[in-house]
Amino acid sequence: MRAGLPCCTRENEPERKSRWNIRRCLERRGMTRLLKMPPQIIRLVLLTIGIVCVYFTARFFLTPQSFGQYGHYRADALQDIASRQPYWAGKAACVACHPDHAAKLASGEHKTLSCETCHGPGRAHVERPDEKLPKLNMSLCVRCHEASPSRPSWLHQIKVQNHYTGSLCTECHVPHQPNEVPP
Amino acid sequence: MSQTITRRAVLKNLAGIVGGILAMPAARTCKAAVQNALASSPAPTGYDPFKHKWLMALDVDRCIGCGLCVEACCEENGVPEGHWRTWIERYVIKKPDPASGKARGETIVDSPDGGKKGFPPLLIPKEDILKSFFVPKLCNLCDHSPCTQVCPVGATFDAPDGAVLVDGKYCIGCGFCIQACPYGCRFLNPETHTAEKCNLCYHRITRGLKPACVEICPSQARVFGDLKNPVPDMENDPLRQFIAKNKVEELKPSLGTGPRVAYAGLDEVVR
Repeated sequence: MRAGLPCCTRENEPERKSRWNIRRCLERRGMTRLLKMPPQIIRLVLLTIGIVCVYFTARFFLTPQSFGQYGHYRADALQDIASRQPYWAGKAACVACHPDHAAKLASGEHKTLSCETCHGPGRAHVERPDEKLPKLNMSLCVRCHEASPSRPSWLHQIKVQNHYTGSLCTECHVPHQPNEVPP
Repeated sequence: MSQTITRRAVLKNLAGIVGGILAMPAARTCKAAVQNALASSPAPTGYDPFKHKWLMALDVDRCIGCGLCVEACCEENGVPEGHWRTWIERYVIKKPDPASGKARGETIVDSPDGGKKGFPPLLIPKEDILKSFFVPKLCNLCDHSPCTQVCPVGATFDAPDGAVLVDGKYCIGCGFCIQACPYGCRFLNPETHTAEKCNLCYHRITRGLKPACVEICPSQARVFGDLKNPVPDMENDPLRQFIAKNKVEELKPSLGTGPRVAYAGLDEVVR
């Protein structure tokens, strides 16, 4: 068997007490210049090197793999954030099955409205057409058309109390085509 | 028992450690690849964040203050009660006292529940009002976002497509970003204890849908589009039309944050 590192072998150095005698180690390797440094400094340097090694090892294991792929963040976060399911179905989903209503809406004043603006979230209805959307409440009309000095002048505004004392807006207005009068 | 440390043994161990360290990245890549292949992520496929650049445009003159956008946002994103990712402010500028020699009187701003349920009637008599208007607010999606700069862990970031996002799994909830945002667009979610804000409905725009607030807005006060993929026909591109027709401004330009939210019809008093 070949002799081990002289400074590290207890058998070869019966006289030494410590296995890791830095001074002996360096002497054997002819690195006597380093010995001019006080031993506490050498220990400090070794400790620093050790800490740096531990830091890089820990960083390697603790940093998520996709971190830094696009920048100083986890690139997988984009996927995570995008994986939430949409709540509102979107006008295109409504138009796909109800082109007649969509055409009617597009010809009137309410053409800028999305279907779900008034009808409410329609995702469940898109997935399961048997599930009907709830009946609409007239408070929706008032929510946008009640007169207010803060509202822009292009918007058709009414003072509900002076406008009509009946119960339903749809008695006189067609929501899909507000300019029309119901038959 | 003799404790012999031979050169051979030391070298063997060292080689093992170095080999292990070198093999680790390869092993992790393989593991990630297998995980990706096996797990079916509900995230939409085929979305490349480098091929889009989103811009939100808000027209103050079109906003009617119905608050449907705020409601839509809260429902879409499960925003906790008492917090808002987007909100509407009602500005009321009173007539000035002629003796003061000022152009405007007092400015009063309110936003009850973020405007989520609409606005109650104004208590200020109409004769005293010089003008009044609604301003929709949301994350300004800064190009040089202060919130990203202060995040100590890299949990909030500027995505390549212009969205400023929060990585909920990585956020430590320190709240630095909430204080750094000059527009007050962030809050700490009381349930998850992580920072939250408008993310442009990232799960919708990656699926080709509009953000919830844009979808629901009845008056087209909110226009949303992709600068890298404009509609070929200029007439039908709402975003380019918006920029061409209006005098476009941004909020707090002096801060140099470079917002990706463009406003039209802003008054000087709006901050």
